[in-house]
Formats: sequence, C-alpha cells, structure tokens
Amino acid sequence: MDRVVQDRKKQVWSLVFCAAAVVPQTGAAEGPSGLLTAIDTPRAFDRAVDDLTIAFDFREDYRALTFGFQATERLQIALALPTYDDPGGSVGDNDLSFAFNVIGEGRNWPSLSIGLVGLGEDDRGAGEYVVAGKTFGPVSVSAGLGWGRFAGDFDGPRGSGEEGPFVADYLFAGESAGFANLVWQTPIEKLSATLEYSDVPNGTEDITYAAGLSYVPFDGLTLTGYVDNDGNAGARLGFLLNPTQPEAQPNIARGPFPYVETTSGRVTRNAQSPAAVLAVLEERLEKDGITVERFAMGETTIDVTPRSATDTNFARVTGRVARVLSGVAPSQITTFRITQTDGPFDAHVIVLDRAALDEAPSRPDAALRAWNAATFEAAPLTPPAGLKAPEPAAPRLTYGIAPSVKVDALTSDNLELTGVLNANASYVLSPQTRFAGRLGYRFLNQWEQIDPPTEPVARSDARAYEPDIIFLDALTAQHRFTLAPAVYGRVSAGYFERAYGGVSAEVLWRPPSQNVAFGVEATYVRKRAYEGWFGFEDQDATTLIGSVYANIGRGGTFMIVDAGQHLAGDTAVDLTLGRAYANGWRVAATTGWSEERDGALSFGAEIAIPLAWSSADGTGAGGTTIAVGGPTGDYGSRVRGTGRLYDLLRGTDRRRIEDGWGEFWN
Amino acid sequence: MELGKTLLALGALALSGCSVSFTDLKDALLSPDTVPEMTIPAVNRAAIESADLAAVMILSPTTGISSVAVAVQLRDAGVIYNGNDNRGVTLQKGLIYQTLGFGTNLQAVLTTPDDPIALGTPPAAWPDTVTRTYLIAGRGTRYDEITATCQLTVGGATEVTVVGVTHRVLEAVEQCETDTGESFNNIHYVDARSGQIWRSSQWTGPVQQNVQIDVIEPFDAN
Repeated sequence: MDRVVQDRKKQVWSLVFCAAAVVPQTGAAEGPSGLLTAIDTPRAFDRAVDDLTIAFDFREDYRALTFGFQATERLQIALALPTYDDPGGSVGDNDLSFAFNVIGEGRNWPSLSIGLVGLGEDDRGAGEYVVAGKTFGPVSVSAGLGWGRFAGDFDGPRGSGEEGPFVADYLFAGESAGFANLVWQTPIEKLSATLEYSDVPNGTEDITYAAGLSYVPFDGLTLTGYVDNDGNAGARLGFLLNPTQPEAQPNIARGPFPYVETTSGRVTRNAQSPAAVLAVLEERLEKDGITVERFAMGETTIDVTPRSATDTNFARVTGRVARVLSGVAPSQITTFRITQTDGPFDAHVIVLDRAALDEAPSRPDAALRAWNAATFEAAPLTPPAGLKAPEPAAPRLTYGIAPSVKVDALTSDNLELTGVLNANASYVLSPQTRFAGRLGYRFLNQWEQIDPPTEPVARSDARAYEPDIIFLDALTAQHRFTLAPAVYGRVSAGYFERAYGGVSAEVLWRPPSQNVAFGVEATYVRKRAYEGWFGFEDQDATTLIGSVYANIGRGGTFMIVDAGQHLAGDTAVDLTLGRAYANGWRVAATTGWSEERDGALSFGAEIAIPLAWSSADGTGAGGTTIAVGGPTGDYGSRVRGTGRLYDLLRGTDRRRIEDGWGEFWN
Repeated sequence: MELGKTLLALGALALSGCSVSFTDLKDALLSPDTVPEMTIPAVNRAAIESADLAAVMILSPTTGISSVAVAVQLRDAGVIYNGNDNRGVTLQKGLIYQTLGFGTNLQAVLTTPDDPIALGTPPAAWPDTVTRTYLIAGRGTRYDEITATCQLTVGGATEVTVVGVTHRVLEAVEQCETDTGESFNNIHYVDARSGQIWRSSQWTGPVQQNVQIDVIEPFDAN
C-alpha cells in the first residue's frame, strides 16, 4: 500500500459521546456519502436548512460514518469516512460531497439536483450525478444519470490519472448509467419502504435492485435495514438534529426586570450612593443567576462586569443588567459599560448609551435599536477602580473521570470502536495560571505495538507507543495574560500530548470593533519516549504557525486559516470553514494542504453541541463536541494540547454577541 | 374546577392548530385531557380591586406556566403587565403585543390599523380580516417575521367567568393562516357593547403557540 493510501487510512475518528442529553428530531435516510440517499443512490430532495445528520452504515465488508449538513436551501455538504474490506486488507477513505438543488420541486415540475461525491479525488467511491425527483403523496421518486461509482466504476482513474491535492479532470467523465429510487411512506406510521435500481457495485454480482425498510422510533432517529444490489444485508443508524430548533423552549425561566426610561418619574434624579446602586443591582441580578464581579460608578458612567453561570448568551445577560440599571441608576448616569469576562481575560466592554436605549424597549425593532445604542471597546488593562472588584481567586483543585468512545483509525485499520478512560486533574492557581494533567487507559481494543521507526516521523509512529498501560497523556502548565488592550498572550510548557512535549507561546490580537483576529504560535517540542511516562526520544521539532480568524457575513459563517511551519518541518496551510449559531452550536469542516503531501486533500468535520440546547430550561454551560477526520498523517500536523487562545475567545467574538442580540431584551 | 376545565380546553384549542368552529370549541371544552398540566394561580380579586390595579391572568398551555400580572407601564399604545418572576405581557387593548417568560418570547406584533382586537372595537364594527406580523427573536439584531391573515367570525352570546365575576360576552374566532401556510386560531370572548375582551387565547409564535389572557381588572388610562 503506498504512502498516500496509508495517510488516508490514518484518519483519527474521535466520536465522543458525553452525558449531555441530545435528543434529535425527525429522521431521514442517509447514504454512504452523507447526502440524502435512498440506499446507494441519491435522491433529488433537500432537508430543512441547518439540518445536520450523523449516520452509521454497516455491511459485512463495509462500514461508514457520515455527516450531512444542509448549508442553504439548495446546498447539501457531506463528509463520509467509509472503510472497505478488500482481499488485501481494509481500505479507508475520506469523501467530501456536495449536492446542489438547481430547480426546486413545484406542483407541476420535478426538482433537479447535481451532486459531486468524493470531490477532489478520483478514488474509490467518487462519483457524480444528475437527478430529478417528484413527490406523489406518500411516494417520492427520483431518477438520474450517474458517473463513477453510480456507473459501476468504483476505482478510477477516469481522468488523466494525475494525482495531487485536488484533481477535477475526471468529473462527469467515463461511462454513465441510469439509476432510480422510490421511497414510500407506508400507512404504518413512521415506517417507510425503499426500492432502488442502480449499477453501484457492491460485490461481484450485479443484481441491480436493492430494497430497504426504515423506521423512526422517535423523532430524529431512523433505523434502516436493507439488502443492497449485491444481496448483502446492511443496517443503518441515522440521527438528525437541527441547531436552530432547541429541544427546550427558551425564555421559560424568570422574565427580565422591567426597563425604566430615564424620563420616568421612577428614576431618581438625586445622586444615589454607589453602594446603594450596587446593593439593588446585586439583589435583582442574583434572581436572574447573574453575579456582579466588578462595579464602579463615576459621574456619568457605571461599569459592571457580570457573570452568569447558566446563561451562555451574553447579549441577554447585558440586556438584563441594563434593565436593572435603568431602574436604579441615577438620571445623571448616561452610559452603562458592561464588561464581558471569560476565563482569564476581559474580552470586551459593551458601551450602552442610555438615552438611545431608552427609545428601544417594546419597539418592533427593539433589538436593532439596542444594538445601535451599543459600541464595543477593548477592555482596559486596568479596570476602573470602584466599589467592587473580584476577590483574588483561591487556588483550587478540580478532577474528574471522563470515559470516551472513539472510532480510531490511527491504530486500527477499520471502524473499530476504541474506549479510553481519562482521569483529569487541574490545579488552578488563578484565572490566568493553571496546571493540568491527564492519565489515560485504553480499555477497549488495544493496538499491537510495532518497532519505532528508524527515521524520525511526526505522526505515523503512533503504534510504537506502549499499549495496554495507564499512560501519561498530558502534564502541562499554562499562563494566559493580556499584553495590551485586545492583545492576548499565552505561554505553556510540559507534555502537551502523548507524542510531544516542550514549550509553546502564542499572541493573539482581536480588534474589538472588527470581526477578525490574528494570532501566531511558536512551539518547540521533543518526541516523547515510546516507553514509560516520562523522557524524550532524540527527535525535536519547531513549529511557527500564523492564524487568521474571520467571521464572514451575518449568517454565522466563520473561516480560520492556519499557515506556517508544521511538525515535519513542512510548510502547510489548514483551512476551517464553518457556521456558528447564536445558541452555541458550531458546525465546521476542515482540510489542509502541505508542500510535502502529494495525495488528495483530507477533510474533517467538527460539531459542537451546547448543553443549553437540550437542557430542560434552555440554560447551562458546557456541551458535547464531535470531531472526525481532518488532515492527519506526518505532514501538515501541529502539536495538540498547547492551549490555543482562540478556543477561549471564540465565544466572545463581537459577531457572536451580535448573533445573540435578538435576545437582548429577553 | 370549572374555570380550570375551561382554561385547559382553550389550551387544547390552541394546540390543535386547525380550523375551529363553535362546535369544536364545545367539544374541546368537554375534552380537555390532551393538554399539559397547568396550575391556575389563586387570585385575590378583592385585593386587586381595593388597590385599584389593572390585572390579568396569563396562561401558557405549551409550557404550563401561569401568572397573574398587574399593569406597571403605559408605553405608546401598549400596557405592560408584570407578574411574579417578572413574567408578563404587553397588551394593546385585547391584542397580545409582547410576552416575557412564558416560552419563546413574542417580541412584538405589527397589525393593520383597523385591528379591532388592538383597538377595542365593539364586534359589530369588526372587519372581516386583519393581517398581523409576529416578530420572534432569531439570529442577529433583526427579528424574524411571520405574517398571518386572519378571518374574523363573531358568534353567539355566552358567559365567561373570570376570577369569580361572570361576563356576558360574544364568542369570536379568528382563523389565521401564515405566509408559510401554517394555520392557527385565536378565540376571544368580547363584550358586545364596549369591545372589552375578557378572555382571549391568541397565537404568539410557532413554538410558544397560544397564550391565554383573562382580564381580571381592565386598564383604565384615566
């Protein structure tokens, strides 16, 4: 097996399920590509915008994990990580797919979609199609023309045979074949039947017909059993979630304190003591679960640094502080300054013009008016001296055990489940300084240890590490600090991950009035010893990576570009493109290019689901992160576990605050 | 108990999401078993009257939350009612203009100038249709909009009892359809002469659905 194929096989699929109760919604059939599919062939329909699907597909000689995302009304994006059992061993793949709905279904005309499966590589499973579909009551029918996998051409090459990070000369080339499928919603509630005709090869025989039954035991989960067109039985487990549809109704906790205009007779025109204002502010905000960390009152301004342990929408927290201040602040106070603090940093100061805010409540454009009354400033290095300042945090020790189940292709050849039990501990000296350690033990499916490589490699020596032991996964010290307003810094040292330890430093600049941030990280590491907890091998590396973090447009779309010298000494560029939701959800796709890697691009996906989305009252911090695939292998790889700053700061981006601003008055 | 059954029945209607007739209404009143459990707050009418407060009772069948709220502000054409836990509504006469704390908040309602519910118009002068735009918080600073057109039908006379006081009213139903094809119903019990709505179940959004208002003591700007 050549190096390119080996690199593709080394996808690390870390599918981590935590205890957060994520209850999906309505179900849908998913196929091997992650696009909306009958059994092996695509359908010409779309899901609801922002629908997100995760599916597991099992057959005797084939397994796949797929992610699908309806990015717009017409565009589906999918990532599939299939594993095929071949006579020479299992073969993994990494397929990024797109489907674009050219014509939407009308009363008298069908929908029409074009799809690209496994874009950028003329490899196993890649194919293209054009498909039309029409719904007749409980029956939806799709028929189309396909190339590549849909025409029985499974392994390419269909183009010129050239290899590289991205090839496209094979698209819609070679033989083509027709396919058709029919999905019938049976009279039995939640049960649908599928019939399919295709040339998709699933074995040596070519039966061409496939059939299946799908059942939705509850909204969001679909169970499918089928027989493919080679007579192989298969099962499919599909989950469907939508970040815009919370499981809990928001706004069922306490309502906000009524806003009182300055002109109201209820607002005192006499100077009140800061202590009196603070006392009322704290008493009222406490009922909303908001604590006042800092408070200062000047002649015309009040500075408040609030913190909520339960509400992740800082726009709403800001609004609630403003509402209480409106009723308690003397009339000479013209400006409310609300500072957002997040972990070790003061992120922003949201400056609210009181007179402009007075014009907003209860208006049809109340949120927009409040936004126009707000400006963003960088938090000062020294907060204004006032009546209340946070007490120095006492050092504290936290610890816990976190089991995780992973689908790991780094140390296994197929979709084999692995289980790791992690014991974490951290000693927090201050919000800025912390020490952390993590022990791990893989309790499910050990790997077979191999000899260390004779030549230094960045990642492909993972199996050289000693299996079946309790291992020291990480032991680090981190210090985060503010260098200047809007400029953040971090230094860290220790064993960052199982393979590397060393020192790392990072600086990040985020202008408060912009939707972009810039960072640079320099790291020197040595390869950790293959045996035992401590010690190093005679191998070192230096990475220097610059990053641009940009929030693009108003749809929550963000882009992260990382470029620079990576672990193998290679120059590489990583690209992350995703969408962040006002409720804390984040969906992203990743890929990377390295000057040393001549194979096709690899793709990954990451989904972050906030606990608040599924909690009973719509509040709560933390959540679940699911990450799969992404650039792996020796090239284009960077050190993990250094404590990158943007992971701390992303939630306080100006655009993220704006995303949630519709909740300002709630 | 009778009041509870009535409220639960109205909740059932609110949840039904389909066209309604007076027969449906009666059926629902007699078949309240499909709605979530809700505790009706105890109300001391005498205390409200002696304090000369304008007060309403608010019930959200989809969340089971209920509250008694008193008028605290008059802003533009809306009266802001605030209750326990700061839950409340803003009413433009009988129209629910805004809700807080009963589910997915309704931020505002834009309606046609002749909306009889928002003006307190006696039923005899009601138009056949009204168009309203409901504003719900979505992403960013601009609210999501849902526009609905409602057909108004005034029915026969009946009585409703709100916190111990019985009012002689007309039953009126609004059958509404949104610009996306969803349908819902509003129900009002309105005084034939004054146009005062004493009880009303109104749609407030696709998630929060209908919220019921019982007017204990109406707001009097004078």
